[in-house]
Order: sequence, then structure tokens, then C-alpha cells
Amino acid sequence: MDSSPHLARAQWMSLLAQAEPAELAAAMEAFALPADITWLRPPQTGLYMLRGRVGGTGPQFNLGEITVTRCSVQVGTRIGHAWVRGGHTRHAELAAYADALLQDNEQRPRLSERVLEPLRLALQARREAASRKAAASKVEFFTVVRGE
Amino acid sequence: MLAAFADPVFDSQRNFRELLQAMARPMQPRELPLLPPSPAPIAPAAMAVLLTLCDTTTAVWLQQPNEEAAQHLRFHTGTRLVEKPAEADFALISEPASMPPLEAFAHGDMRYPDRSASLIVQVAGFRTDAGARFTGPGIRDSAQLSIDGLPQRFWQQRAAMAALLPLGIDVYFVSANHVAALPRTTRTLES
Repeated sequence: MDSSPHLARAQWMSLLAQAEPAELAAAMEAFALPADITWLRPPQTGLYMLRGRVGGTGPQFNLGEITVTRCSVQVGTRIGHAWVRGGHTRHAELAAYADALLQDNEQRPRLSERVLEPLRLALQARREAASRKAAASKVEFFTVVRGE
Repeated sequence: MLAAFADPVFDSQRNFRELLQAMARPMQPRELPLLPPSPAPIAPAAMAVLLTLCDTTTAVWLQQPNEEAAQHLRFHTGTRLVEKPAEADFALISEPASMPPLEAFAHGDMRYPDRSASLIVQVAGFRTDAGARFTGPGIRDSAQLSIDGLPQRFWQQRAAMAALLPLGIDVYFVSANHVAALPRTTRTLES
């Protein structure tokens, strides 16, 4: 993780959001939600407009809408936020709660080891599997070599 | 930070219904069904009105701004806070005794009389068996209401503004869990 606190937080929020809801739930089993936490913003599902640029440099266009669930929770003095893709409210709750705990310097090492690390490995495995599947369907066009 | 409505959509709709009814029946206090937690100096009833009416398209002016209240409003409503009363769509008056004159707020222009401020005034209490009588649209014959903790000059400034109709300022008075509305069309009867 990067040493800059904001970047580090952005990275773990991204990791929590990209996790599969079941993976996150399994990783967070050891960190039960206490009864006395305040849900500043209970999970709410809405639509965000995704915008893109052709080639990353062209003019902006609206790519389409995406379902996003957001949630904010207060644990002690720390406030955890989460925005996750899809309508899975439990995912948003757990991600927000994990974000709040991760801001606590005492809790962070334990969460990094037991939550973030498994999630990072699972994400990496999923990416590699997708990449392998795509590579397997790669087509080499030997017959259309021109010129010479 | 504090939470807001437990169920933002349905709770604000329930309060909105009461605010509509309050505006339709001026100077008749109504009970707000839901009071959210609120940071000082914003009263829970005033917070209920702000959470119901404000969003990213409105500008809010706080008479006694503080960081906690500003953060709370920005987080829960996405509203924009302004420094000058004249720029506000909604103004929260938490201490009526030292409120700025009504002329300080936007009262619309002839083309867009709706571009005017709505004031949310935190007052000490209502009494329906005393005080001035009011008449106008939405009031059969007359309505009587005494508002505690409102300076006399408010009524003088409002009377001066009456000539500007359809321009003007609409007011929500809140006290404990009650709200009473004073739209620009309501007139004070001379006793």
C-alpha cells in the first residue's frame, strides 16, 4: 500500500467495492458489526451515469447508466463510506464498516491481513482467469499478410 | 456526525405532505410527523423542513453558521451553503431577535416571482387563542395566531413588502414539533 493516507484509503475502498459480496462477507466474518453503530446513510441504491471518452482522449459521451449502492456508517469517531456497483445492500454496509475500521491505526494491520489481502488475491485470480479466457480465444490472422 | 431521516424517501414525502398542507392553510400550526436528529443551532423541526425541501439545486443561508451544521446539511442534502442572505433559496433563522431585515432576502422579480427566498424561522411557541388575525387564500374568514419570540419589526417589514405582490417572501415558522406557514398572500387584519 502507498504511504499517502488518502491514496491508501482510495485503494482499500476500491478493493472493498470490487470484491464479490460473498468474498467480502466471508472475509468480514471475524469483524461482526456492533449493535451501537450509527448508520448515517443507510444503504441506498440509485443510478449513476457512466461517461467515457473514445481512446481516452476524445469528447465525453454518456456510456450508460450503472446501478450503485452507497452507504455511510459512523463507528466511534470514524466515518466509513462505500459506493459499490450493483444493488447489494449488505455489500455496501460491510464495505462502509470495513472502511471505518481501516481508518483506525490499531485495527488496520489485522484488517489488512484478514480482509484486504484475501480480497486482493481473489481479485487478482479473477482478473487472471478472465485474461486467460480472453487469450484462449485470440485469433492469429496468418492468411491476410499483405505486401512484400 | 448525526444521521438524518431513517428512510429518506418516504420520510421526506410524509413531511412534504404536511408542509404543503401548512402552506395551503396559512397560520394554522400542524404537527410534523418525523423529527430527525439535528446539530445545534438547528432545531429538529427546522432540520425536518430543510431535509425535505433542500437538495443539490438549492442554496441555503444559515443565520448562525457552524462547521458541524454545515457539514451535516451538505452531507445529507447535497445543498449549497451561501454567505449572503440575498443568494439564498432557503434561509434558516435560528435567532429571530437578531434576524436581518426581510429586504435582505430575495423576493423574486416580475418575470420570475418564484425566485424568492423561503425563510425557516425557529420561534419559541404558538398560541392559537391570542395574537393577530390573518386572512387570505386558504383561510376561511380569519385565523388567529400568536407567535412567541418574533420581533415586532418583522411584521412592519412584512407589511411594507405586501405592496410588491406577487413578489414577496414565504415563511415557515417552526416550534418544537409544529410548523405554521405564512405565504406572501396572507394579510394581517387590522384590529
